[in-house]
Amino acid sequence: MAGELLELGQLFVVLALTGAIALRLGLSVIPLYVVGGVLAGPYVAGRLGLPYVADGEVVTLFAEVGIVLLLFFLGLEFSLDRLLTSRTRITRSGLFDLAVNLPIGIAIGLLLGWSVVESLLLGGIVYISSSAIITKSLIDLGWIANPEAEPVLGTLVFEDLFIAVYLAVVTSLVLGGDGLGSLAQSLAIAFGFLGVLLLAVQYGSRFFAGILDVPGQEAFVLRTLAVVVPVSGVALALGVSEAVAAFFVGMGFATSGHREKIERLLAPLRDVFGAVFFFWIGVGTDPTLLAAAAVPLVLAVALTTPAKMLSGYLGGRVYDLSKRRSLRVGVGMVPRGEFSLVIAALAANGATTVMQEVIPAFAVGYVLVMSSLGTVLMEQSGTLERLVFRDEDASESTGG
Amino acid sequence: MTVYESDLPGVGKKHEVDLGDGSRLVIVTHNSGKREVFRRADADSDSEKLFELSDKLARQVGTLLEGAYFQPVQTDSIETLLGENTMLEWVEVGANSPVAGKTLAESDLRQATGASVIAIERDDEVIPSPGGNATIEAGDTLVVVGSSDACRDALSTIRGD
Repeated sequence: MAGELLELGQLFVVLALTGAIALRLGLSVIPLYVVGGVLAGPYVAGRLGLPYVADGEVVTLFAEVGIVLLLFFLGLEFSLDRLLTSRTRITRSGLFDLAVNLPIGIAIGLLLGWSVVESLLLGGIVYISSSAIITKSLIDLGWIANPEAEPVLGTLVFEDLFIAVYLAVVTSLVLGGDGLGSLAQSLAIAFGFLGVLLLAVQYGSRFFAGILDVPGQEAFVLRTLAVVVPVSGVALALGVSEAVAAFFVGMGFATSGHREKIERLLAPLRDVFGAVFFFWIGVGTDPTLLAAAAVPLVLAVALTTPAKMLSGYLGGRVYDLSKRRSLRVGVGMVPRGEFSLVIAALAANGATTVMQEVIPAFAVGYVLVMSSLGTVLMEQSGTLERLVFRDEDASESTGG
Repeated sequence: MTVYESDLPGVGKKHEVDLGDGSRLVIVTHNSGKREVFRRADADSDSEKLFELSDKLARQVGTLLEGAYFQPVQTDSIETLLGENTMLEWVEVGANSPVAGKTLAESDLRQATGASVIAIERDDEVIPSPGGNATIEAGDTLVVVGSSDACRDALSTIRGD
């Protein structure tokens, strides 16, 4: 027990330190938490004979809670009404994004001789942009007040919805075992369970409102957790994506009229467990495996950076933005982060070496590169805009 | 005044106010309550951040801007638009006001004008939702709510013009 508590202590010391470094350098915390996990984990600190944090049960469980809370918050923020009110523009820019980026990832996997499921996992990892990093950069750079914020955030909403369906399917593909029969069964269970959950969300707003109708913060937080965690647990026990279950529960709570209070009170909890999740991803990453993932990594970075910029550009044009602002939308979509890592964590439960080792290592390398590259591109977008549009009239006036 | 409102999923809401000279004031209200205020010179420019305020500070600055504490214009009433045609007005009761010294019931404001007095401010004190037997004194500030016509009538009654 003492050893485990000490390990957990080491974990939080490293998280606090990397968090402080991120703040000092003005970087996103996510990649730094991952790096902190790699350095403090068995593959670096362990090999150097230093005290290290093992990939143990406690850390894994905390990380799992992190995934659940990350997706719960995504569901909480997700508004079907909002999607429906501007559905044409969100759907069109979202479809550009999906049609360009997911197939590229799948193609890279197939090109390397990976199976369909493995390629699909790769596709998901390169497709999904990081809401956390992008939103933070939009605010830091002041783009949040510019017209380009709307297509960026709108496309992210579309991605969130897609990733819920994607995770539901891919979890069954990864965990469902071999053979068409067991796969069909596992898909049936997944959609049965999630369907019931979705109905509960749709018609249970009185339940969600009632359960939170309690004075005092402590009871409020505990009651929220008492719904999210067990539902996710049941999902996982049935072989269904716990992340999607948490997403739906979040959508349910969003209708309770307590959304802002939940966000205020549970955000610190999400941040703590989320940080442990990113750290845990790092702990499980053997940096020497990055060599095995080098080829897909180089291919993916070289192909998906311009692909995201192109799909974002098209998305910006859907919103009637000028070419210059549309380019910014593309640049703004480049950072990848938390959800790529959630997919990688799912892949690690798979049966093949590619799923267990190559894809997680790939995802870590890819997120580190794309989160930094994306942030730098956003900061330097002025230079980029001048390079791309030097021949054109600078005062093009279709913006606004 | 034209105000454009849009959602910023995961962040909050954005309001853009046309300032009349082609530039826009952009107010980003974060879910956390924080307000960020930007100015965009024209459609092609980038928004320049002017300042940010906490939720509490924003409300206080907001009431200052609204003129709740000081009205520089030559009028002794303050008004706030609640809806399309509903106003909230603050009006001071002069020494010669016909309603000074009367109770709310005696002043007959609601019957005569359609506007209601929802609070009486007296020195540092506020009497919220005053009943019909509450007395109006010279020097009070009455907070009146009603349609703009009703408010105008109530104001002229209170001032005695």
